Amino acid sequence: MDKKLRKFNLFFSSLKDTFRLLKRNKIGFIGFLILIFIILMSFIGPYIVPFDTTSRLDKIYVKPSWEHPLGTDSQGRDILIQIIHGGRDVLIVAFLTGLLSTLIAVTFGSLSAFIGGRLDYLITSLADIVLTIPHFPLLSVLAAFIRLKSSFMIAFILALLSWPGLLRAVRAQVLSIKERDFIEAARALDLGTSYIVFSEILPNMMNYIVISFILSMTSAVYAQVGLILLGLVPLASHNWGVMINFAWTRGAIFYKNSIFYILSPIIAISLFQWSLISFTRSLEEIFNPRLGQGV
Amino acid sequence: MESILKIEDLYIDYRVRRGLVKAVRGVSLEVYKGETLAIIGESGSGKTTLGLSIIKLLPSSARISQGKIWYQADGKKYEVVSLDGGKLRKFRWKEIAMVFQSALNAFNPVIRIWDHIVDTIDSHDVKITKEELRTKVLELLRLVQLDPDRVLRSYPHELSGGMRQRVLIALALLLDPNIIILDEPTTALDILSQRSIIELLKKIKKELNLTIILISHDLSLAAELADRVAVMYAGSLVEVGSVYDIFYRPLHPYTLGLIKAVPTVSTSFRELISIPGSPPDLIDLPPGCKFHPRCEYKKEECLREEPKLIGVFPNHYVACYRWEKIKDGKNN
Amino acid sequence: MGDLKRELRKIAGSVILKRFLKSIFTILVVVTLTFFIIRLMPSNPIQIYINQLISQYGMTYEEAKTLAASLFSIDLNRPIILQYLDFLKNLWKGDLGVSFLSRGTKVTSIIKEFLPWTLFSVGVSLLISFTLGIILGMLIAYKRGGVIDFIITSLASILSSIPNYLIGIMILVFLGVQWRIIPIETMRGSLSPGIKPGFTLTFIKDVFFHASMPILTYVISTIGSWILTMKSSTLSTLGEDFVMVAKARGLKESRITFSYVGRNAILPLFTSLTISLGFIVGGSVLIESIFVYKGIGWVLWNSIHSRDYPVMQGVFLIITISVIMANFLADLLYSRLDPRIRTSGGE
Repeated sequence: MDKKLRKFNLFFSSLKDTFRLLKRNKIGFIGFLILIFIILMSFIGPYIVPFDTTSRLDKIYVKPSWEHPLGTDSQGRDILIQIIHGGRDVLIVAFLTGLLSTLIAVTFGSLSAFIGGRLDYLITSLADIVLTIPHFPLLSVLAAFIRLKSSFMIAFILALLSWPGLLRAVRAQVLSIKERDFIEAARALDLGTSYIVFSEILPNMMNYIVISFILSMTSAVYAQVGLILLGLVPLASHNWGVMINFAWTRGAIFYKNSIFYILSPIIAISLFQWSLISFTRSLEEIFNPRLGQGV
Repeated sequence: MESILKIEDLYIDYRVRRGLVKAVRGVSLEVYKGETLAIIGESGSGKTTLGLSIIKLLPSSARISQGKIWYQADGKKYEVVSLDGGKLRKFRWKEIAMVFQSALNAFNPVIRIWDHIVDTIDSHDVKITKEELRTKVLELLRLVQLDPDRVLRSYPHELSGGMRQRVLIALALLLDPNIIILDEPTTALDILSQRSIIELLKKIKKELNLTIILISHDLSLAAELADRVAVMYAGSLVEVGSVYDIFYRPLHPYTLGLIKAVPTVSTSFRELISIPGSPPDLIDLPPGCKFHPRCEYKKEECLREEPKLIGVFPNHYVACYRWEKIKDGKNN
Repeated sequence: MGDLKRELRKIAGSVILKRFLKSIFTILVVVTLTFFIIRLMPSNPIQIYINQLISQYGMTYEEAKTLAASLFSIDLNRPIILQYLDFLKNLWKGDLGVSFLSRGTKVTSIIKEFLPWTLFSVGVSLLISFTLGIILGMLIAYKRGGVIDFIITSLASILSSIPNYLIGIMILVFLGVQWRIIPIETMRGSLSPGIKPGFTLTFIKDVFFHASMPILTYVISTIGSWILTMKSSTLSTLGEDFVMVAKARGLKESRITFSYVGRNAILPLFTSLTISLGFIVGGSVLIESIFVYKGIGWVLWNSIHSRDYPVMQGVFLIITISVIMANFLADLLYSRLDPRIRTSGGE
């Protein structure tokens, strides 16, 4: 019982340390805060602020005011509320894609590096091939055949294309760790391949895995919003991508007063991307303290 | 003995996050024409910083807060600390050439060795025809015992570490400098390459009339090549003297410790004594003599004020209050 | 003669050949996958088209099948393996089928008409973006910590996080609609009506006029990462021993900056060049559609929307093959520039 309590305290104090280090890189910290804000807004916001879908034709494209901080859209609906509701799908797909592709990349990357030989050659060749094919055209063509109805399906397809980059990097990391002494020791103790891979190598790569996960989220957002814009994903729910699609297909882009309708989702998406990338940069600094150290 | 280099009361600091690193503290040293001077010290003693300051090649975080460096040869006289821009650039390599520790990465990987030579010539006002240059280069490569055909057309990565070290030495001699500074010339090499570089340096010393400054932590290198030795500790000189004085009549506890720590063929295990403790933090130096925390001869006065470098015998200087005790002690 | 033999032997055993074969193999894999996906997917387009023909035009199954087969340039009656080989044979001959929509137009002629515009805009953009990016990147590496560094780094960081098509939309919205700086209506298409192709000034001016917004979009969206990568590469090169030795040798500042720092700092960026190219070409599907710039990306978008499968298949193959070939060329260029790769033959 005491052991568990100690482990908990240790975990907590290491979190506090990480938080303190996070604050060192100011821009990364701002990115982190924005990220947390967007996550909270997208998942908790909708419960606080319900989405009123009734059209009010007397309030089309109203300029921002206290009542409608971001103005209204072509049907008189409040834009800010749409932004609050619009993040959830995007974030869920991004997260799922990140999860799936990181899972694939880490599992197969480390196995490939650790076992080596023909398996390694096969997997790396496959990764190279998928890597050289331009992703977006392939995704567009696939979307024409497969109806991407659920978030999970979209995430699955996206993950199928984004694992090679991560796999290569994971493989390189494992290859370098593989030669280290404590692995030799584990081998000498005859501890079994899967044990060595999962209990010895991976914990040392946690930092790296987290960063790769976050970066794959950014490419998932790019692909997902792109597909939505092209109309290749059924526009069932009302998310940021759908808002931009509507703006484009319904001519809002060419109309002068609708600028807030078009800009709001763009800024929301860009802010999300930026916060992810900047958070990654400060994570990199934390995990690799020698970078950015100017003597 | 004519003086070619005179360092006067030099102070160099580095600015780091934690504070100010006092790398060189009040060093005054004279180098005579044609001699081989070894500056000996452990890591962090300031010897490399001192060497770099002679050609004013310090990193931007470093600052020469005080002092002068006088260079005088062939009727020319320069004060290095005040040199800047084009004058400093032309001064480097032509008057004084510095060969760094790691020749492994001393060359531009994407151009050939011959291009390095051409680069060097082009950057200085040297009136030389292509023919004369070719002859000179062949001569220099022969001196360092390298095959010109093999070396000149190659890229740096095609040559071994030892070969690169030799090429660098040949390159250093290209503009007939008056002083050549070698910073840890043998440290990065395997033992056979070390031996051949030492022999090469002996040969150069004999055949060319050069002033050589050797910077190293390796006392045995000094024993082989140096005429005079200057021992550095925590940014200042603790003992300066002829190589015989330093080895047979050391006067500073640190020098004594260094000598006792070098194994010789006849040393048994029991006789090897390393100096206990570690070098001081250059940001936060102890008061008085900087060596006192590790010194077995220390007395009260050693903690109060730092001893100055004084000439206690002809051409033999020491910065220690207890030098007489050490002199007697060794003879026991 | 002996020199030639030596050169040939060098090429044969070299990394270049291996990379070339790998590219060819990748192309083969893509072609095979495309073929099988189109034929074997549950909602396979040929089947759909046949059903369409039957329901819309009242054809019999046989008639529909024959028509569909001819449009795709395949023979549906033969076993699938032979169909695959026929497909490869046709591909080699340059026969990619006929468009569903505009029946009578061969896919290859569609590609011939629209591909050059994309190649042009992507090529020019990459050139501008790379060149400006490395110059700026190197500049701020040298002036590290200054105001210029902060401004450019922040801008680069922000620009590189925004998806390129969103930048395109913003350019359209701000420059075209809000501030009316550019005449977006007349900028549609890749060429103004009535202008004849040729090496005339009017033609060249017109081409750039139409391609300017896509090029601007590509450049703005990619320059950020070039700047940041070059900055970090230059900073790490500046810390290398040979740069300090070069200064000790009294080399001229300009020589050090270009031939010592520059040439070495640029090398790692060449691997990013291939990724960047694939990415820009991928984004062309969206960006050309936003600006209605009639290149191959726009064609792909149209063909997907109108379910014009032969065109979709053909364009997808061409895009992929072009990118793979371009990657190979970039690898080639890199090996020319870095002598360490040339002779060691390692990966």
